[in-house]
Amino acid sequence: MQAEFIVFLAVALVAIGAAIGMALSRHALYAAMFLVLNFACVAVMYLLLNAPFLAVAQVTVYTGAIMVLFVFVIMLLGAEKLPAQETRPEMRWQRPLAIGLGAFLLLQVGLALALPGMRAAPEPIDASPLAIGMKLFTTYLFPFEVASVLLLAAMVGAVTLTRKD
Amino acid sequence: MQMLILLPILLPLAGMLINAAFGARLGHRTVGAIATTAVAAAFALSVYFFAQVAGAPDHAVSGNFGPWINVAELEVPYGFRIDALSATMMLIITGIGGLIHLYSIGYMKGDPRTQRFFVYLNLFVASMLTLVMADNFLLLFVGWELVGLCSYLLIGFWFSNIKNAEAGRKAFVVNRIGDVAFVLGVLLIFATFGALGFKEVFEKAEHLKPESAGVLTVITLLLFGGATGKSAQLPLYVWLPDAMAGPTPVSALIHAATMVTAGIYMLIRSHVLLEHAPVAMQVIALVGAVTAFMAGFVALTQWDIKKVLAYSTVSQLGFMVAGVGLGALVGAQFHLLTHAFFKALLFLAAGSVIHGMEHLTLTTGRHDSDPQDMRNMGGLRAKMPITTATFIIGGLALAGIPPLAGFWSKDEILAAAARTSPAVLVLLGVTAAFTAFYVGRQIYLVFFGAPRSEAASHAAETAPTMTVPLIVLAALAVLGGLLNLPAGFPAEGWLGHWLESVIGKEPHAPLDLALAGFFVVLAVAAIAFAVSLYRRFVKATQADPLERLGALHGLSFNKWHLDGLYRAVLIKPFYAGASFLARIFDQGGIDGLVNGVGALTRELSVTLRELQTGFVRSYGLITLLGAVAVVAYFLFTLFNGIRP
Amino acid sequence: MNELLLVLPPLIFALGGVVLLMVDLAIPRERKSLTAGMAAVVSAAAALCAILQWGLAGSGFQGMISVDGVALALDALVGVIGVMTIGLSLRYNALRGILRGEFFVLMLFSLSGMALIGHAANLLTIFLAIELLSIPLYVLSGIARPRLDSEESAMKYFLLGAFASGFLVFGMALVYGATGQLSLTGIARTLITSTSVPLLVVGAALMLVGLGFKVAAAPFHMWTPDVYQGAPTTVTAFMSTATKAAGFVALLRVFGVALGDLANVWQPAFAALSALTMMIGNLGALTQINLKRMLAYSSIAHAGYLLMGLAAGGVSGVRGVVFYLPAYAAASLAAFAAMTAAHNGEEDQSISAYAGLSRTRPGWALVMAVAMLSLLGIPPTAGFVGKYMLFQSAIDVGLVPLAVIGVLTSVVSGYYYLRVIVTMYFEAPPEGVAVTKGNRLSLHWVTGAIAAAASIVLGILPAPLINAVTAGVTSIR
Repeated sequence: MQAEFIVFLAVALVAIGAAIGMALSRHALYAAMFLVLNFACVAVMYLLLNAPFLAVAQVTVYTGAIMVLFVFVIMLLGAEKLPAQETRPEMRWQRPLAIGLGAFLLLQVGLALALPGMRAAPEPIDASPLAIGMKLFTTYLFPFEVASVLLLAAMVGAVTLTRKD
Repeated sequence: MQMLILLPILLPLAGMLINAAFGARLGHRTVGAIATTAVAAAFALSVYFFAQVAGAPDHAVSGNFGPWINVAELEVPYGFRIDALSATMMLIITGIGGLIHLYSIGYMKGDPRTQRFFVYLNLFVASMLTLVMADNFLLLFVGWELVGLCSYLLIGFWFSNIKNAEAGRKAFVVNRIGDVAFVLGVLLIFATFGALGFKEVFEKAEHLKPESAGVLTVITLLLFGGATGKSAQLPLYVWLPDAMAGPTPVSALIHAATMVTAGIYMLIRSHVLLEHAPVAMQVIALVGAVTAFMAGFVALTQWDIKKVLAYSTVSQLGFMVAGVGLGALVGAQFHLLTHAFFKALLFLAAGSVIHGMEHLTLTTGRHDSDPQDMRNMGGLRAKMPITTATFIIGGLALAGIPPLAGFWSKDEILAAAARTSPAVLVLLGVTAAFTAFYVGRQIYLVFFGAPRSEAASHAAETAPTMTVPLIVLAALAVLGGLLNLPAGFPAEGWLGHWLESVIGKEPHAPLDLALAGFFVVLAVAAIAFAVSLYRRFVKATQADPLERLGALHGLSFNKWHLDGLYRAVLIKPFYAGASFLARIFDQGGIDGLVNGVGALTRELSVTLRELQTGFVRSYGLITLLGAVAVVAYFLFTLFNGIRP
Repeated sequence: MNELLLVLPPLIFALGGVVLLMVDLAIPRERKSLTAGMAAVVSAAAALCAILQWGLAGSGFQGMISVDGVALALDALVGVIGVMTIGLSLRYNALRGILRGEFFVLMLFSLSGMALIGHAANLLTIFLAIELLSIPLYVLSGIARPRLDSEESAMKYFLLGAFASGFLVFGMALVYGATGQLSLTGIARTLITSTSVPLLVVGAALMLVGLGFKVAAAPFHMWTPDVYQGAPTTVTAFMSTATKAAGFVALLRVFGVALGDLANVWQPAFAALSALTMMIGNLGALTQINLKRMLAYSSIAHAGYLLMGLAAGGVSGVRGVVFYLPAYAAASLAAFAAMTAAHNGEEDQSISAYAGLSRTRPGWALVMAVAMLSLLGIPPTAGFVGKYMLFQSAIDVGLVPLAVIGVLTSVVSGYYYLRVIVTMYFEAPPEGVAVTKGNRLSLHWVTGAIAAAASIVLGILPAPLINAVTAGVTSIR
């Protein structure tokens, strides 16, 4: 229990660090790598939650397939590096304010978590491939199908926006 | 019978639709004929209903055409009810309306937009009839807003002059301020009584517990707030004088005889509520009296023939409002009636004068003087005899010279003031003197003396379509007083008896000879003084003899500086606030897209302003700020709610 | 099979989109109006289906979806809006070279998402439905590519929309963490027994942020003017009407159904947001010189009026909202229709470009005037009846200050709506503009005229719709 918590804490910190690094890095390739790291951390969290199948899926689909595609596109376009950006003096106040507000929001959520109150009771979950499959095609059949339409719409949209007429 | 009650509204509406759809093909004369016929037919129906109401056991004819807004707690039907008060109003609207339609055929001759003019005018009559026939507050409000809409459209009718469009917009905005009060009043009525029908509301108001009297005062004051907009009372009267930019028949019909009296009608209609709110009554009486005084004072020094009449209208509306506030409901309604006769007459006669003054321009194409400026007139009596005679009748009626209509009605209100409130009496008495003075000044400047411009010396009498309505209205202005003679006269207090079924029995006093005599002498003296003063006004460029009054003249001539005051105190701060906010949230109406898509990835040399900058990150920041605030607010209410 | 009947209207939209996607391949480029026609048929079929299903109630798919009067009302409304938007699109899009098959396919997908929001009975379904409605809209805003304003509009909408979705999904996660439930009725059940709910409340607040963004409530409205202005006008018309309706139904589902017992916590916040939104929307519109941007602020302001109904709650408040949505949609569509038609498709967005429209194009000037009057809430238009219902509901529960703010801000709004009418009716047209006698009977004109007529008919004879809405609202599950 204790060990699990320490691992979680470490992984979570790395995940957050990777996300910040991704947002801040001006080099697209680095950003992609940070994202890979973030995805990997999430996969570890799935493992900690007794969901090995999800962890593997996370690694193969996101860390693997999707990120490889990303990196490919970045390299192909040769758009790795953004020009160094000088923040306009009139907008400089925005950055500390944004950081402050974000921290405050976290504080609020943290407060809500810390206060005693209603919590969902932890339930033992069965995250085997079979169980996930069963869930997907029974309880979550409808959302699953909606998601497929959503993906189709997104695909059509992407083609629409990029196709040369 | 049920359906028939709708006909007075439907006929002008049909006229409007026919003219709107086919008017372009029919020619101006036919359009005018259709519109006039529709209103004349509505008048015939109004007479019929008048007789019906007189014969009906409960002195009312009603019709219900199913629900309009029906949510379980709120049932607002398409309900119409003609009682004695409505029937009286209907006669004024369709009768004077019909005459003014007839007059407009001549007045609008040659104007390319005649079709549209008559469409608006018919729509106005239909809306005004809806207003007075509605049997609940919400349906009344429909008519209330529609007449307003017609009024704005007609004020700005000749939009080639930018001032007209501005006057239209001013009328709209000022009226909306009054409407806020009215809508809030209606909402509060529903919240208090759970009903909006006149009958239910008034019945429940009669049985309201004494501790709820405060609510009634608020409701009444809110309704009165609505009336200050529509009936041009302080502090909202500023729109009406500007509204005279519209065509003269519109001024006569809408801004003198009918629409502006809607507020008075509504107050009289709500008299049950008023009677339970004595504080509100005092406010109403005082506001009316002060308005009458202030507007009468302004009318003293104006040069524009229509401006004088406009301020006079505001002043006379103040008389009526004061009458309502004093509890002299019959007197107020009586004055509304006679005022409709003689003020419509005065406006139409003024329109005839303006037409006559434009005669030279029309025949020779020369245009050298303002046809509405009384300094350019003079001596028109020889050129335009009918107009002169009728204008003088109207003017003397307005000044309160017996036995003309205005004398009797004004006297009733003054007598009521003498009985109850010395302050109101003084204000109204001074106003009566002002009235007589500016009437004398106007009549002398326009019709007597020698012509002071070429236009005046070449003026010509107008066509019969215009003079016939003048003659009819003049007859009414002479005889209107018979409608409600004081006690002791034959057929005494007819109007009071007629309205008994609506507003109950009011004590009917005999003529107070001392009071009446005093005011008649005062009026005659004021007229004589005006004539003696303006006998020496012989050149258009001469200064007004009243300028000797110095600062007082300036105050009157500049209309108490109210427009400037409002601009400085209300409009400017409002604009400053709006544009300040606009600059915070948006770049003062300048496109937020100035940055182009490039702003997302690179910086452009566009000056950044405040927050609605077109930069996504700024928008995100605001969203974040909002999120923090919303979460905080939720937590706040949660903890506040938990602690007892 | 039986369960599919419960989501038939959204299903029709989605399947129609999929089928049309394939059929469109066979339609040559110059005949894309055929695609449009088919999309309109699909949209109309879904609306008709919703009307035929009226009275249906139930839930299915393991509690993921449900159907009730409000769901069917939303189906019918967005279906009709879809048909009308397509009616406006044909000519407008053709003139701008964006009469593409994908336009209509994406619109159907978006419509399916909107309709699905009404049927959602689970936070998961709600989230997916909201994404399904949003993603096609991001693309549609940018479909006039490579026009810069359209691209910028799409980019801004996408980035900020993703930001808001983050809040929404985070809020849902917290709610799940607090209750262990995703189903709306399940959440409501757990609320009955619990007394201390800080985590749930924070989750609710974050969901409000996400949904507030969709309906353009202040202070989450910042995207609205830019996106509305840059997007093709037909897309703007679609967004401002259908998206708002769907967003409000989502708010109703989440807060009215799932968090109904927490009303004493969220209703004050709704009232505050409502007041803020009314003020910012109306003041923002006041100084606009661009008509489209002014309508965007007007759309924000109307979100404020609608929020007032939710803040008041109860049958009367919700009924006001559900009535006001079609009333607003009709007026808004009429305004956008007139806008796209006024200059022969050569859209000029500045208000001054509409000077003298009453003389050059009297029919369209009338349509625009009716739209402005209804948005302003002058009787006897639908806008008046709707506003009256909303204000009355606020007064009934004692939210008098809110109603006063509503009345006052609508007075302010009189100024800018009237400016359009003044410009059209009281100002002379610019030199060299031809005067058209009457309008040619075109699809565009019919659509605009129907929208304007609806604004008046719903004001004069609102009773049938009010009855239907009342029945729908009392059937909320």
